[in-house]
Amino acid sequence: MLEKNYLWRIYWRLAGVIMVCVVIALAAVSYFSHRVFDRELVPETEQKAATVGASVRALTLKATSYGIDFSQLYGVEQTFAEVFEENPEFAYMAITNTDGNVLYARGSEPVGARSHFRNPVVLQIAHEPGEVSKAARVGQQYIVSVPINDGGTPLGVLHVGIDAAFVDHVLLEVLLDVVVVLVVSLFFTLELLNFMAGARLASGLGEFARQVDRMRSGDFTATARIRANDEIGRLLRRIDSAIDHLNVRYEFLVGELQDKLRSATGERRESLKPAQQALEQIGKRFRFGSAPEGSDSDEMNLNRIRAPLFAFILAEELTRSYLPSYVNQLLVAIPGVSPQVVIGLPIMLFMLIVALGQPYLGSWSERVGRRKAMLVGAIMATVGFTGTALAYNLYDLILWRSLCALGYAMVFVAAQGYVLDRTGQQNRAQGFALFIGAIMVATVCGPSIGGILADNIGYRASFGVSALMALVSILAINRLPTNEVKTAAQRPTRGPRMREIMALIVNRRFMTLTGLAAMPAKIILTGVCFYLVPLYIVSIGNTSAMAGRMLMVYAVMMVLIVPLSASLSDATMRRDRYVSIGLIISGLSGLLLLLSDSFLVLFGVVFLLGLGQALSIAAQSALVAEHCQEEIRIYGNDAVYGVYRLLERLGNALGPLIASLLVILWGYQGSFVALSALVLFCGIAFTIATHGTEWQGEPAHP
Amino acid sequence: MGTIRVRFIIVALVVSFFAVGMAAFLNYFKYKSTISGIVKSRVLVIGRNIENSVQASLQVGLQFMELGTMNQLLAREKASDRLIRGIDVFDHTGQVIYSTDRSRVGEKVPNAWTEAAARAKSTEWSTETPDEHIAGISLKNNFDLTVGYLAMRYSADEVDRAAKIAGREILLASIISFLGIALVAPLALIVVIRRFERDLRALEAAASHLEDRADQPMPAAGSAFDAAIGNLRSSLREANVALDDLRARLDAAG
Repeated sequence: MLEKNYLWRIYWRLAGVIMVCVVIALAAVSYFSHRVFDRELVPETEQKAATVGASVRALTLKATSYGIDFSQLYGVEQTFAEVFEENPEFAYMAITNTDGNVLYARGSEPVGARSHFRNPVVLQIAHEPGEVSKAARVGQQYIVSVPINDGGTPLGVLHVGIDAAFVDHVLLEVLLDVVVVLVVSLFFTLELLNFMAGARLASGLGEFARQVDRMRSGDFTATARIRANDEIGRLLRRIDSAIDHLNVRYEFLVGELQDKLRSATGERRESLKPAQQALEQIGKRFRFGSAPEGSDSDEMNLNRIRAPLFAFILAEELTRSYLPSYVNQLLVAIPGVSPQVVIGLPIMLFMLIVALGQPYLGSWSERVGRRKAMLVGAIMATVGFTGTALAYNLYDLILWRSLCALGYAMVFVAAQGYVLDRTGQQNRAQGFALFIGAIMVATVCGPSIGGILADNIGYRASFGVSALMALVSILAINRLPTNEVKTAAQRPTRGPRMREIMALIVNRRFMTLTGLAAMPAKIILTGVCFYLVPLYIVSIGNTSAMAGRMLMVYAVMMVLIVPLSASLSDATMRRDRYVSIGLIISGLSGLLLLLSDSFLVLFGVVFLLGLGQALSIAAQSALVAEHCQEEIRIYGNDAVYGVYRLLERLGNALGPLIASLLVILWGYQGSFVALSALVLFCGIAFTIATHGTEWQGEPAHP
Repeated sequence: MGTIRVRFIIVALVVSFFAVGMAAFLNYFKYKSTISGIVKSRVLVIGRNIENSVQASLQVGLQFMELGTMNQLLAREKASDRLIRGIDVFDHTGQVIYSTDRSRVGEKVPNAWTEAAARAKSTEWSTETPDEHIAGISLKNNFDLTVGYLAMRYSADEVDRAAKIAGREILLASIISFLGIALVAPLALIVVIRRFERDLRALEAAASHLEDRADQPMPAAGSAFDAAIGNLRSSLREANVALDDLRARLDAAG
């Protein structure tokens, strides 16, 4: 549609300008922060160097107290090496004698060090008693000099060099987070543009385009809609007014003709015939009067779901990068259950509740109303997040997380229903693009920001932020229209029946898609992204923020590749190939850890996993409709997709469980490799199973 | 100023506020954690000296509970850094065995200390109270068995004071940056959305002349909506022409 592309061009231009402004602002904040860091951290590090120097001096004096000559000490350089290991900001250490000659040294000597050591002021330090230390800038280092003085006899001076660039290194770590903030800001910008201006603009321009189309087809029926008081609203009001005038004119002319016809007889009646014919022609070509009720598009109300959904999903996504570490902190021993499994338990339970709850919550939300169901769900989740933030131990944490899961399932299903209620065949895909868009943006922003928050304000306060976000979503849900939209043709949704589940899980064609593609894809997603990555990153000495960045890579891949792969797989109609390639790439991802356990390799694992999932995810569900037509004919669309979604979500629940069991057996790296190998096997099996002609025509087993 | 322009500017300000706020937040907490780390590692240097002395005593066969020179050693090490408020050595039950503060001997340390020591993955551990920070080391014997815990209490003031100063300056820099953005962003946005506003104005102008009966089509404004406006006008014109025809025939009928 012209107006959509037009708006998106404007959005990107605006986002570009806003990003340039944000980058300038971030650069300014970083510059000033660097100055503060430089000024405040260096003196503090000098004090530390003096303390370290005093410790080394004590060792030296202990050795000389045994009668060893000061210039003949053994192992001084090794002691320096140990100091460097514990204090990476120290770049150089040396002991000089009273003449300033270097006796022992380690590390990179700064330019001008030798002449500095022979400087009379520095040589004088050796003669000073007590804990005196002096600092000076020499080359690229700050040199802290400590006297070595044996009961009044000067022996020499110990020099500790602090790398002046250590402040840069500290700030470089912040820079990575700032880049994350930039990426998140870009997505926030697009989301906010859509929320604050775009929703109204899009629906306004959409309404304008529809009005133009209606008028082109001769439809001049008047709609009684309240227009917004903005540029587009005023424009639509003018069009409404023009249509109203036409209708008034038409009504007047029709009334006049009818009056004349009523009073006319004979020849006079005959003279009115041309006018009658003209009216008939107008009746054929144009439509006047009032537009039938319900014909209005509900696009504005449809767009209003995006903000509450985004805020709610963001609340949950914020926890992704640090939840396993938080569980680890609250861990209590459960007899007979490995701690690794216990850590995965809250994630597994969450996924299980969502999987089992969704099919039944759909019809519940239909009964009580979508808005009310979303409100109940968001309130439950808010309580759940608050409880999680205050959790005493694992047991109550599980309870609170279960509440979050139930709330999540309610909001998700009700929001899905809200979109379904307000879309028809023509705009359903557009409605779901809006729905999935909100979720994807939350997936990009949530884990990275959550990780940063967890590292800086702690896990509990970060859960508090999630509770706050869920609370914000309640306020946004509250603004949704109170009237529910129910079309007469709409059938009530229902969860799949046990008979249907049993019949479909023994159906080869259905299970080829579900068991070899959908479930393994979800197992590796939750096993790797929600369980292994957060725990493994922290186990190798990294932070939750880094885990968040990793998960952001996955989400960005999904955002970028899914639309592309969806359109390509639709266009080529080779969806099974996309699923095969996606599964195989996902399966190869974890095998990278066989090459190395380095951090960059882990980045590659998440990147490949994101790529693989993005290639296969859109094609997977489309394949159900494509290849299970017979099953859909027998059991119905709801039942087949219901069972498919149920099994897919059970895969979500199984992921952390399988990953944790694999960790017990083979450790984190082994678990990555084994999970990937499982998916690779499924990918190859799927490729073989869908290759050949029998894949197209196998009958269902009722 | 149009309401759409105002909305776009609000978006820019909200996003800038978020980004600048997050950057300030990150820099402040990085500073705080770095300075805490430097101070803690400085205290731990002293702790390592004590640990080495304890291990040397244990190596020559002395019992951990009977280290006669321990209190003097603790006092000496405490005096080496003004930051340290006190040093305690306690056993696995949390009972203080040696301390620079004699009145603390025999007392129990808070549970948080023993929990922090037990939770730590290495021999170093730390915990905090509102006014004190505690940096600790688990003391091990030759068989790598933990015989007790060393806790160095140091003032939180130094870290808090430094963080306060840095926080104030970072906040100031952030406010200035945000104000700069608040001035520049609207101007930049106005330049970018000028074309869009021109399109909207053209649309609005065309809409205000929708019912003009001129036979000549309106000249194209070069906007993205020219085609749509043209369609709109021609549809209305067609309808009006049809109604005019009806009017003319009615009039002709008399």
